[in-house]
Amino acid sequence: MLRVPLLIAISLAIAFGGGIWSTLLALEATIGFGAIKLGAWEAFPQAQTVDADPYAKSHRANAGKLLFGTAEGLTFTAAVDESGARLHGNCTYRMSGHTPPARLWTLFTNDANGRPPSESAELPAALNSRTVLRGANGDFSVEISASAQPGNWLAVAPHQNFRLVLTLFDTPTAGSSGLIDLSMPKVEKIGCGDA
Amino acid sequence: MLKVLLAVVIGVIGAALLHLVIVLSLPYFSDRDAYSRVISEGEPFTFHILEQKPDQAGLAQEDPFLETAVCSFDLEERPVRFSAGSGVPFWSLAVYDPASNETFSINDRTSSGGKLDVIVATPLQATALRKAMPEGLSQSILIETPLAQGYAVLRAMAPQPSYRPLAAAFLSSAGCVPTDWR
Repeated sequence: MLRVPLLIAISLAIAFGGGIWSTLLALEATIGFGAIKLGAWEAFPQAQTVDADPYAKSHRANAGKLLFGTAEGLTFTAAVDESGARLHGNCTYRMSGHTPPARLWTLFTNDANGRPPSESAELPAALNSRTVLRGANGDFSVEISASAQPGNWLAVAPHQNFRLVLTLFDTPTAGSSGLIDLSMPKVEKIGCGDA
Repeated sequence: MLKVLLAVVIGVIGAALLHLVIVLSLPYFSDRDAYSRVISEGEPFTFHILEQKPDQAGLAQEDPFLETAVCSFDLEERPVRFSAGSGVPFWSLAVYDPASNETFSINDRTSSGGKLDVIVATPLQATALRKAMPEGLSQSILIETPLAQGYAVLRAMAPQPSYRPLAAAFLSSAGCVPTDWR
């Protein structure tokens, strides 16, 4: 007697539940297609253009962020280290190497909500190309940890995942299709826990 | 049993369809996209300087080193002119249409003399401007945009805390005003 309404209810529940859930998941998980992937880093040089794919357009309409124009800069984010493990505040990481050519760059972390560190924090929660200490050949090495480190130290909040955000300003990389050879700094885990 | 399977398959197909419909239509219905947020910042034709924390409109300065200001404009009556001085290590301007597609972007090295002087106009207004070429506009960069509405984002870099007053002064002196002629 109730077989047919039950079957219709199952179909509708799967259609609406699955449709909404998969959309939320897709918009949360990725900014769209067309990413430049360099090791742990990824960037979306097309995300703010009219050529962006429907997922990218949907994502930016939902996130409501002010994106960087092509002449402004390009933002690389890293949620994982070189081995593919999620970046976590209980571990210490070393980011070393060179950035692609750019006039300036800034480096900071985003928490799970995508917010940068607050200004009031007394800790060095953000670095830029002018304040970073460099080696003799212009490379740099940044220790990313919740506890103080010698040299360049980027402070993160302990006990939670974080995301590294490296923005290159006035860079030819923004017009890149990913074909030219770009090198990004490596993000390596050098220890976890209190050690 | 077969009927249950059929119901599940139909459900999955429906879910896929709904997924596509939401993804494709979201940009047209979203009320939390960047343009809506810039509009709810307040008056058009004024640069609103953003705070470190998200304000009521939901916009914030994303990069701790970049002081950011936004301005919404409407070219229905007159072209808009963006102007600012120099003196910060880096500044950049990006102009977007209501769908947040980039119309134009510029930074201090690509501008003439390191100063910001950009006019955004509809194709009709731009033609009229080129014909008249009023006094004092020969140095301005003239941008045509097919859509009359839009918003601009002006960013100024303060790489060290001592640069912050400079960047703040740069942004608060920046102009986003309708021009006198049409």
